[in-house]
Amino acid sequence: MTEEPYRWLEAIGNRREYIRDQLKGGTPVFAISRPEGILLLGVGQGQSKVFEIYDHHAFAALGHPVDIEKFRQSAIEAAHVEGFNRSARDVTLRRLISFALSTSLKNSFEQIFSPPLMVESIFAELGGTPAQDVLVRVHYDGNHHYETSGVLVAHHNAKPEEEAAGWLRKSLKPEDSLAQAASLCLAAWKAMSEEKPFADLTAPGQTLQQIEGKTVEAALLDRRLPGPVHYRKIDLARLAN
Amino acid sequence: MNGDFLALLPKTAFPQFQASDSAPVPLQATTVFAFHCAEGVVIAGDHRATAGNIVFSDKTEKILELDSHSLMAIAGVPATAFEMARTLQTTFEYYRRSQLQPMSLPAKTRALSKLLRDNLPATIQGYGIVSPIFAGVEIADPDARPVIYFYDPIGAQFEAAAYAGSGSGSGSIKSVLYHLEKWGQPKPAEMPLAQAATLANRLLMTAAEFDTATGGVHPDRHLFATIKLVSREGIRSVSQEEQEQFWKETTQ
Repeated sequence: MTEEPYRWLEAIGNRREYIRDQLKGGTPVFAISRPEGILLLGVGQGQSKVFEIYDHHAFAALGHPVDIEKFRQSAIEAAHVEGFNRSARDVTLRRLISFALSTSLKNSFEQIFSPPLMVESIFAELGGTPAQDVLVRVHYDGNHHYETSGVLVAHHNAKPEEEAAGWLRKSLKPEDSLAQAASLCLAAWKAMSEEKPFADLTAPGQTLQQIEGKTVEAALLDRRLPGPVHYRKIDLARLAN
Repeated sequence: MNGDFLALLPKTAFPQFQASDSAPVPLQATTVFAFHCAEGVVIAGDHRATAGNIVFSDKTEKILELDSHSLMAIAGVPATAFEMARTLQTTFEYYRRSQLQPMSLPAKTRALSKLLRDNLPATIQGYGIVSPIFAGVEIADPDARPVIYFYDPIGAQFEAAAYAGSGSGSGSIKSVLYHLEKWGQPKPAEMPLAQAATLANRLLMTAAEFDTATGGVHPDRHLFATIKLVSREGIRSVSQEEQEQFWKETTQ
């Protein structure tokens, strides 16, 4: 049936619909570039959503856990082989995504007789200053864009994703602490999962640290760490004190 | 998917040497040693690399950090040793990140053994001999104490109860450490870091007295050894300034 162009388009359309439907259970993940480093945050139930990729790279995703795992492994493999053959500095998101990751996502999406990778993700690369940080939003079909505002949200639904990112950009102040930045992410997370409009959402009065019944997972690509490895998990309760 | 970084590489992890009779004298790096002190394990080395009777460099770093809790001191041919260290660094980090847990200490020492054994042809030819010292602590065990392992050039692994040394100057160092462990007041294992760092510098000066391939430590010229401390908290580099401070405090 795929010999006919129309049928092929239809099959791709069905596939897109199927993936979107499958992704509906997922909840958003966040990445925010701050003076201290890049904060990554996700909320789940037991399984991880935020991961270390390389010395100065991290990844946060929603989607099918098996696909997240598969995609994460390919990113780690590509980064380490490159870092070993050349140097840690040569591992850059631009090259990783252009040459290794987005092509494999696009292939897996378009090969309509094999299962697709159902992953919506964010990649983060730590620079020397917040202006040098790189944040990339990667979609399940290999499509991706570089975000320059320092705030990135990934969700299965584009509209609330954009609204949440806009709200975060507006609400985040330069002097905000990491705990406050994380609290804003959690407020946005709640609004998105309860499908509340962002127009009348205000910043939480008290610093949010957890979501009832869920596990909040936060990590920082810490600009201040002296060694080669910059990724560390953070405990929001400890951060607030 | 099993976290084995070497499986990702197309060929052997590091290049094999094929030396002919007319090959130049290989570069050698000496001298390194490790001993237990009160705070953990001190691992130290001089800065000299030689080729036969030529001093090739007096600024060589021989104590290489492999990850947050393990390091390797190299003696032998630096080209092979640096490549081994680089392979191990990537292997440990790749495993930790892909498997979401740190590699165990026995697996780390096994990985080093395997690299040494893979280097057998170069070792037999006498052109790529490396005999390293490994020091580390089991990350997953909160009560683990740091340990020292030393290796023969083809990969046999031995745990050192008190100290280990490798390289051409290590003979005199091991003799002094044996003496101090047996009759010292205090023993090296009881020394605080300041005293242990000064001992390490003095040991290298002793080795340099009898071995031309050991050198580069001259406290009177503000030149000190490379010293690192491995403890439960991780690795701490003792800077030249700190060593000078310790030297002043403990030798007055």
